[in-house]
Amino acid sequence: MIPAPGDGWVRLSPRKLLLDPVKAVGQAVVPVVVALIGISQSDMRFWPAVLPLVVLGPIVLGALPWLTTHYRVTDTQIQVRSGILNKTTSTAPLDRVRSVDLEASLLHRVLGLQKVQVGTGVDDDRITLDALAAADAHALRTSLLGRRVAVPAAAPLDGAPQPADPLAAGPAPAYADVPVPPPAPAVPLAAIDWSWLRFAPFSLGRLVLLVGGLGLLSQVADELPIWNEDTATSAWEWLTQFAVVAIVLTLAVGGLTLWLVVSVAGYVLQWWGFRLAREHGSLHLTSGLLTTRSITVEEAKVRGVEVTEPVLLRLVGGAELSTLATGVEDGVTQVLPPCPRTVAVGVGEAVLDHRGPLTAPLVEHGPKARRRAWFRQLRNALDVIVLLAVGWWWFELTWWWLVALGGALLVAAVVVGEASYRHLGHALAGEHLVAGSGTLARVRTVLETDGIIGWVVAQSWWQRRIGLADLTATTAAGTERVVVRDVRLEVAVALADAATPGLLGDFVVTEPAREQV
Amino acid sequence: MLRAPAHRVSPQAIGFWTVSALMGDAVLVGGAAVAWLVVPGAPGWVGLVVLLLAVVAVAHVVLMPRIRYRVHRWEVTDTAVHTREGWIGRETRIAPISRVQTVDSRQGALMRMFGLASITVTTASAAGPITVDCLDAETAAHVVARLTAITAATEGDAT
Repeated sequence: MIPAPGDGWVRLSPRKLLLDPVKAVGQAVVPVVVALIGISQSDMRFWPAVLPLVVLGPIVLGALPWLTTHYRVTDTQIQVRSGILNKTTSTAPLDRVRSVDLEASLLHRVLGLQKVQVGTGVDDDRITLDALAAADAHALRTSLLGRRVAVPAAAPLDGAPQPADPLAAGPAPAYADVPVPPPAPAVPLAAIDWSWLRFAPFSLGRLVLLVGGLGLLSQVADELPIWNEDTATSAWEWLTQFAVVAIVLTLAVGGLTLWLVVSVAGYVLQWWGFRLAREHGSLHLTSGLLTTRSITVEEAKVRGVEVTEPVLLRLVGGAELSTLATGVEDGVTQVLPPCPRTVAVGVGEAVLDHRGPLTAPLVEHGPKARRRAWFRQLRNALDVIVLLAVGWWWFELTWWWLVALGGALLVAAVVVGEASYRHLGHALAGEHLVAGSGTLARVRTVLETDGIIGWVVAQSWWQRRIGLADLTATTAAGTERVVVRDVRLEVAVALADAATPGLLGDFVVTEPAREQV
Repeated sequence: MLRAPAHRVSPQAIGFWTVSALMGDAVLVGGAAVAWLVVPGAPGWVGLVVLLLAVVAVAHVVLMPRIRYRVHRWEVTDTAVHTREGWIGRETRIAPISRVQTVDSRQGALMRMFGLASITVTTASAAGPITVDCLDAETAAHVVARLTAITAATEGDAT
């Protein structure tokens, strides 16, 4: 046995001894079976020697992490030590803990375990404890997040500004000496409503999985003995004799039904028991049927939200909501399942503590921006048409089809171009910069102006000719940039100046405006 | 409107940009010419394309550094870093000094021959690094020292 280092160091849950070998066996099963078959074909004498090795190997390997990993929580730090030869020690100051996420796969849940991930505000650096007993995990989460309880978590939704300074959300002196402060009441923001299931088929995220699965199936089908060219040809002739329409119809209905089942099942698996609440000054999300997730984002680190309405979802009045945060693994955290737009906007407003930004009308970017939006899509369509024309010429196909296809593409390009222009826009709503974007999907990004850490004004040659610019607000949150596209240069400068007063102050000169703003 | 930043880059930059553009374009045009000569039975219009490429390359080498020198400008005030760059397009970048996280300076072998150095100022955003290309080395050292002093005095984690 490897002894614990003492001084409050503890091991992970002993039930990990069951978890890891099962995982290890799962990973090792293919090579082991291959090896066994290889051996059994050559000679049977080695069996008694080999069998214990292949059975015990994964178990020993699985047990090592439990023996060698220890963690402790001191007054100021959380520390994790692991490894035998290369000992690594990860530490995080408790006042830097920004997020504590819990996750449990089905196997974890059977064993009553939770995987704990502690984020410290530095993007890639997370401390992982896999796995703790569920009760320990929840206690650890509460105590880690409880330590830095500060501003009242339950701010009412009346448009009152939160303290804008992130330092103001540090540990309040009153709580500083208390190890585990009295738990603040959690304020629920949203919970799953199964009538939202109607949005599942209109959210195409899982289509990729389905197509991948079908691709795999078709590969298998290729291997089937019945599927050779002769049978295919004769089957095809037989089919065309009868009812092409009926076959196509059946395939379409079958595909739609499959999609319905897959999308609804995926929605249920992912969002079962979904609950979003505000506690300890953090947003806390739990969901999942088989694998449960519990994600915590510190509210002081949430710099904005993004409401996305993919084209299909928008047809049925649905939307998705993400938060833009700093110091979270990928910055953009989806905090709501596809749900009615009003719900997404309501929760978004609750997260922002402001009513305006998600509903305020956007300033349009004008006819020149519309022209660019149209041209961008038309150029894409022309690229495709040229490629198609080359193909047509190569294969000597009928030109009528190309003309029809090209016409359809151009019409589609105009429609998409107009749509992308209508999604374009910007606004400055109180302390929030709002940017509208998206070609097919309508996206509205809201960023706290306090989270803006720089500006980029970029003009291509074409944009300079017509006085437009792309204004980028750089930030540490979310995707690290918010772009206001094709806005008039003077409007862009005025917007940047108004959003971050003083930053541009020295560089802005008043010039007689050539056009009315 | 935004006014241009106060300072030009070093005049040596024209030489540096000319030489580096010349090296890149010479490889490209030379490669194309060799390919045209080597491949048997290449039609005559391919030669015209190579010639056109050469003309464009010459224009690039002659014009690009001069336009760049007129466009590129920089300024560091007590509160912000402001740069303008580009030669066909324009890009203006501004970052508050209070949000600056790192200050790097870089000097390649060719840059050293012209006595130049570049400074890159990064913030917590991947979209926000600001590069001042081709300062003369002495100015660059001064600017780095000044920026480092200011950022060291700033509190908070600059996000």
